[in-house]
Amino acid sequence: MSLQFLNAFRFLKKNTLIHNLDPRAKLLFAIIYTLNALMFNEILPLMILFISLIPLILLGKLFKSWFKSLKGMSFLFIIIILLNTLFISLNFAIAMTLRISIMLSAFSVFFLTVDPNDLALSLISMKVPYEFAFSFSLAFRFVPTIAIEAQNIMDAQQSRGYEMQQKGIINQVKNLFPLLVPLIISSIKRAFNVAEALESRAFGSEKKRTYYFTIKYTAKDWLFTLYLLALISILIIIRINMPIWLYWSIPV
Amino acid sequence: MVNDINSLIRFQDVNFSYPNGTIALKEINLKISRGEKIAIMGQNGAGKTTLIRMLNGLLRPTSGRVLIEGIDIINSTIGSLSKKVGIIFQNPMHQLFSNTVAEEIKFSLKSLDLGKEEVEEKTNTILREYGFEKYADHSPMNLSGGESKKLANASIMCRDPDVLVFDEPTLGQDANEIKIFLDMLEKEGRKKKTIIMVTHNVEFAFEHVPRVVLMTNGRILADGPTTRLLTNETLVHRSSLILPQVFRLKLGLKTLGLEVPDNVINQADMVKFLSNYFETESKR
Repeated sequence: MSLQFLNAFRFLKKNTLIHNLDPRAKLLFAIIYTLNALMFNEILPLMILFISLIPLILLGKLFKSWFKSLKGMSFLFIIIILLNTLFISLNFAIAMTLRISIMLSAFSVFFLTVDPNDLALSLISMKVPYEFAFSFSLAFRFVPTIAIEAQNIMDAQQSRGYEMQQKGIINQVKNLFPLLVPLIISSIKRAFNVAEALESRAFGSEKKRTYYFTIKYTAKDWLFTLYLLALISILIIIRINMPIWLYWSIPV
Repeated sequence: MVNDINSLIRFQDVNFSYPNGTIALKEINLKISRGEKIAIMGQNGAGKTTLIRMLNGLLRPTSGRVLIEGIDIINSTIGSLSKKVGIIFQNPMHQLFSNTVAEEIKFSLKSLDLGKEEVEEKTNTILREYGFEKYADHSPMNLSGGESKKLANASIMCRDPDVLVFDEPTLGQDANEIKIFLDMLEKEGRKKKTIIMVTHNVEFAFEHVPRVVLMTNGRILADGPTTRLLTNETLVHRSSLILPQVFRLKLGLKTLGLEVPDNVINQADMVKFLSNYFETESKR
């Protein structure tokens, strides 16, 4: 089950308008949508923001994986709704769920459409030292590898009589050790191996490095940026003089 | 019962595809009898690992049936199947997690519903048998590669399953460790255990395993005696293997015009044949 959730954030190469945008434009998109979502506490504006994401998701042919990522977070949604309804109000609970969904969707669009290699390049172009940018993209690259490893560990342990289901919370936690200990140990071992492999190729020996692939901010990226900037400016103005009807809430 | 009593494992028209759509097994039909030693060989991605994962129910066929002792695995849990079939996976580090070597063995015995004293006794026997007595209180993480593989073996062997399945048992093992593994195989063979191993090691299979199943692209390419299959150039080539050394030497000698008789199949035969040959040559 956990494996499927990871899949929802995995990059797949596709040739769509959204995929072809510059990674920096998409990072800006994720950040601006997150900021927008944080500006409002009311249902209607958040709902409109949420709906405005859907054309982008459809353009990128991401509907399935996006839906999966939301489904994977459903546990979190339930907690948010329960706690907020109990302690504050139903309206606030719905608004907060929408807010989280917007942020999650924005970042899932980002991760689903940005090649990890391009991500490193765009970080570097934003003056992030390349050692950090590289470790960041490396971390992404290893998510599926670790998922496979976890499956192998589960298989190996089950072959010696390990039972996945256990009764009681303490037993359930204790039951994680046979899976987590080997997983952590092999991950650390792999990290050392990767470090040695990098050093043997003289990683970090030069202050500056050049790249075989480059990324370029083109006209459509500027257009997209313009849209994002216009969106946030308009929303700031609306936030300052909010029309009454936007305050609408579910009468309880 | 319809099946003869000896047929311990049966694959009937088994197909399997992974959730992402990869077809891993196609129309697999296989019969393995009690006490047999069998090697499963073929190139990477041929479906060998998928096949063995079905033996204790880690994977279930998409269509077709897998029967263990005449019972369809669909009707059993991994827990109950793993008492009959013990799979020893390639990487021992995927299962070692306890604080001490002794605890590692005890963890494997936990699900067998044994009494406390019995567990204690069995652990000690296994530790002695595998030469881990002096390491009993050591951390399994500090063992060498070969030792940790041996501990992984021991942690399955202590459960005393009828069928032992090894995934790449000779990989990364030195000659001495392979010798220890062979001794263990022989001992388990005497107990009438069924032994299945996935391997790329042609020499090992040719010398020590009587039956081989060759797989390619999810299908069984050939199934029969090792001495016949692994000496067949086309079959060996199609499963991305190489002929055993002696047979490669035979081919080389043939190009030099020296015909080696068919009954020469191992190193000792070859040495004998060549010494005879040189003797007669020098007399001439």
